[in-house]
Parts: sequence; structure tokens; C-alpha cells
Amino acid sequence: MLIGVVGIVLVFIVVFVAVLVGVFNKLVALKNRYGNAFAQIEVQLKRRYDLIPNLVETVKGYMSHERETLDAVIQARNTAVSGLQAAARNPGDPAAIQGLAGAEGALGGAMGRLFALAESYPDLKASQNMQQLTEELTSTENKVSFARQAFNDAVTAYNTYKQSFPAVIVAGMFGHGQDASLLEFDSEAIAEAPKVSFG
Amino acid sequence: MSSSFFENQDAARRNTSRLVVLFALAVVAIDAMLYALAVVLTGGQVDRVTGQAELILDWWQPELLLQISLLTLAVVALGSLYKISQLRAGGHVVAEALGGTPIPTDTRDREERKILNVVEEMAIAAGLPAPPVYVMEQEPGINAFAAGFSPSDAVIGVTRGCVRQLSRDEFQGVIAHEFSHILNGDMRLNIRLMGVLHGILLIGIIGYFLLRSSMYASIGRRNRDNSGMAMLAIGFGLMAIGSVGTFFGTLIKASVSRQREFLADASAVQFTRNPLGIAGALKKIGGYQSGSLMQSPNAPESSHLFFSQGLRGGMQSLFATHPPLDERIARLDPSWQGAGDTVGQGASETLAAGAAGFAQQGAAPAEEAAFPFSPDGNAVHQIGRPTLAHLDYARKLVEGLPPEVVGAIR
Repeated sequence: MLIGVVGIVLVFIVVFVAVLVGVFNKLVALKNRYGNAFAQIEVQLKRRYDLIPNLVETVKGYMSHERETLDAVIQARNTAVSGLQAAARNPGDPAAIQGLAGAEGALGGAMGRLFALAESYPDLKASQNMQQLTEELTSTENKVSFARQAFNDAVTAYNTYKQSFPAVIVAGMFGHGQDASLLEFDSEAIAEAPKVSFG
Repeated sequence: MSSSFFENQDAARRNTSRLVVLFALAVVAIDAMLYALAVVLTGGQVDRVTGQAELILDWWQPELLLQISLLTLAVVALGSLYKISQLRAGGHVVAEALGGTPIPTDTRDREERKILNVVEEMAIAAGLPAPPVYVMEQEPGINAFAAGFSPSDAVIGVTRGCVRQLSRDEFQGVIAHEFSHILNGDMRLNIRLMGVLHGILLIGIIGYFLLRSSMYASIGRRNRDNSGMAMLAIGFGLMAIGSVGTFFGTLIKASVSRQREFLADASAVQFTRNPLGIAGALKKIGGYQSGSLMQSPNAPESSHLFFSQGLRGGMQSLFATHPPLDERIARLDPSWQGAGDTVGQGASETLAAGAAGFAQQGAAPAEEAAFPFSPDGNAVHQIGRPTLAHLDYARKLVEGLPPEVVGAIR
């Protein structure tokens, strides 16, 4: 009789520990997955930040009296670079992610104004260098958004698992207290759409 | 609709599994037919008393059933393994057979740079490594393919027409579609089905050889003995079962292939989140003279790999490896009416009946296109009375103009 009770208790303990181990491992795997997804965004954002000085250098020759716009692009780019560094140190931290998102939005707005201006310089648009840069920037921007899509999917998977039943009880104990936050860039860029006037 | 691409994917996956079960059932049915044949052939006995031949059919002979089943399994497995070993050579072999040349990763060419960039973008979206890319310079049609047994040896091929005619968004949709084939293992599934189909074909081939050898053997002898007759019957039976099996197998395989196309279209929307890109590409194929037709002599063997129907004929039939363009577009873009805009039934027919397409990248379409003006004296009567065919022709003529010319006119 006693042996039977002890056996049942033992079985319960084994099952309980197995579930705990499973939850712990799954949390780690999901966290690493979104960390990795963020690394992919980081690679593409860095590439974008590296391309922007090239772009400004190319554009300078054609539109030297648009100094302000060019300076604004460079400044926004530098802010975004430091925002990315802060976010890369801790991809799950909402404040860092928000900072990066804000900087990215501002950069997007500045770039939009630059491209809108470039419309009125046909020589610039026709130049081989500018066409190549435009293609590379377009592609990099696409890669950023697809990488962000993958990152957001990974974050959603992590948060959903963390908030669902067995994990929700122990997630805090295992050091997964905080929800990871999604990365949204577009808000500010939409608010500050470049104005194009047909004078 | 755009939010239901996950539902579309699920539906296509469900349909695929049903069809694969059906395919397995077809193999079982072939086994049953072979068993029936064996029962009939072994049932012939000579009655000891009367000395007359009679047919005694015993439908339950477990030992015979086991033997026949094992034999069928062995033949089908042998045929499959042979075919699969032939087909799984790796994506680059297929790409080269279709006349593709690889794009070097450090290319300076603007068009090739764009291709590589779009492939890299989709690789990120699909979460796969970026495969090598091949361009088929000789193909003016709009098409693309993915080949390879597994993601690690997969390649993507695009026609020159595909790059030239499609906008960046449309091209992205096409590449995303191909990535779905790689991600969902469609090439592997197809190769396996082709393998089993080859095994079924092998049954028919064995029957054919038995029939032939028994016929040759019986020519030498004057009176056909029983064993000769039996050989003839076995050969004929195997041939019949093999061809019926091949027929239905091909039918099922084609349906599987069509379901995988729907799945790939839905996945392309998932990767790009832009249903209009891939829908636009399909619309362009419908309106474009060369459509998606492939000219490579090796195209028939790989027809199932392409983005859109690569071969002429069988466009609407049960054996088509791709669903009709109209249906694919309608699923992606529910607001599309199909009216005169692009495909429509008429345009598909012109497409099928038309000549091989533009001479070279839209240079001189006039000679090649189906010219609706009759060359005889009736030309005068046609002035001022354009028919649908004329309008269709005019539209294609405009499409064939290089974009710079069109831009200059406008």
C-alpha cells in the first residue's frame, strides 16, 4: 500500500519535472529565435546605414545647395546608428526597441524628403551611380522589412507561449517575466510624409 | 481575402494529403487487379472425370495475395528507386538542362543585381538560405522554376522575359512562389510521385515484353500450347493494368501539382504580404504574347517545376500541372473581373494558338503574332470594322513595343 502511494507520488514528481524542463527549454529556444531574428534585422540596418553616406556623397555633387536636407539625413542616420547599438545589446527591452523605432522613423522621413528633392534633378536620377544606389537601398529596405516581419513573428510566438497555460505560471521564475516587444517603424514616417509640391 | 492566405494554405495542404492517400489507394487497386488476374489465370483446371477445362475461381488465397502484393511492391519500388535516383541529381543539373546560366554573386550587371537582391529578400522572408540563381537567356516567356531535392541543393531559375517584363513587386511575388516550393518540399513530393508512377509504368512495360516474347515464340510453333496462351494473357493483363494505373496515377499527380501551386501562391502572399504583386505577374502572363511558354526541349520533363504552365496544350485539361490562370488570379485578387483586361478565355486561346512569341525581347512582334488581317482582297472591307481579334492584336503590338518608345509617345 505504502509502496503504491510512494510510486504514484514519484511518477507525479517525474512528470512535473519533465514538464518544467520542457517549458524552460522551449522558452530559451523561442527567446534565442527572436534574438537571432533581431540579428538579421541588425545586419540589414547596418548595411543601410553604410549605404547612406555613399548616397549623400553621390547626391552632394548634384544638389550642393540642399545642404540642410543632406545634413538632416546624416544626423538622422547617426541617431539611428546609436539607437541600433542600444537595441542590439538587449533586443527584448521595450525602451531600447522604441528608441530605435523612433530613430528609424525619423531617418525614413529624412530619406523620403531627400528622394523627393532628387526628383527635380534629372541628371542625378540618370547617373549610373545613383541608379545602383537606389536599387541597393530599395533592396536593403525590403530586407529590413522582411527581417522585421520574421522578428515580429518570432516575438509573437515567444509572447504567446509565455502567456499560455503551463508556461505562464513559471515564466517569471525562469527569468522570462517581461514580454518581448514588437518592432514597428512606420508610425512617425507616416506622420511626416514628404511633401511634394507641383509648382 | 488577403488575410486568409493561411486558410488558403491549409486548404491546399489538406487537399494534397487527400490526393496522396488517393495515390496510395491507386497502388492498392493495381495490386488488387493483379491479384484478380492471378486468380483467373491459376483457376483454369482440367476436370479429371470429364477431361474438360473449367474455370474454378477461388477469391480467397492469402498465400497468392501475399506473393502478388510482394511482387507488385518490389516492381513499383524498383521502378521508383530507379527514377528517383535519376531525378534527385540536384537543382543545378535541371537548371543547366533547361539552358540556364548561373548568376555570379558579385555581378555588376544591374538586372542581375536586382534578381539576386530580390532572391535574398525572399530568402529572409521565408527563413531559408538564398539558393543559387540561374537565368535562361533564350526564353522570352515569363516563367521561373525551383529545382532540387532538398533546400540545401535547391536552385531558382528565371527566364529573361520574367526579369524584363515584370515590375519589381511582381517579380518578388514570382520568386516568393518559388521559395514556397522549396520550403514546402514540393520538388521532393513530385519526384516521389513520379517515381511511383514510373514503377506503375514498369508493370505495363513488363506486360509489353511478355506479350511480345510470347508472340515471337508462338510464331515458331504451329500449334499454340497452353503456356504460350497463358503468357499472352499475362502480358496483355499486365499491360492493361499498367496503362490504366499510369493514366489514373498521372491524373492524380497533376491534381497534386495544381494544389501545390495554390499553396505556393498563398505562401507567396504570406512572404510578401502583397497579393497584388503575384496577381500582377499572373495577369501579365495572361496578356503577354509569349505567356509563360518555355522553348527548351527539356521543358516537358520539368513542367511541374515552373511558376506557370510551361507547355502548350492541356491548358484547361485534367492533366495540366498548373491551375488555370484565371482561377489563380481570382484567388489572389477577388476584385478582379477578368474582363478583357488580361486573360479571359479568348486570350488564353490566342495564346495557345499563337506563334512561338516575340522574336527577341519584344523587338519585332509583328511577324510572329497571329495576324488577324486577311492578306487577300478582303482587306478593303475590313477597314473601319475592327473585330475583337484586331483589338487583341493591336494590344499585343503595343505591349511588344520597348518601354522607352511607349514612354516617348506618351
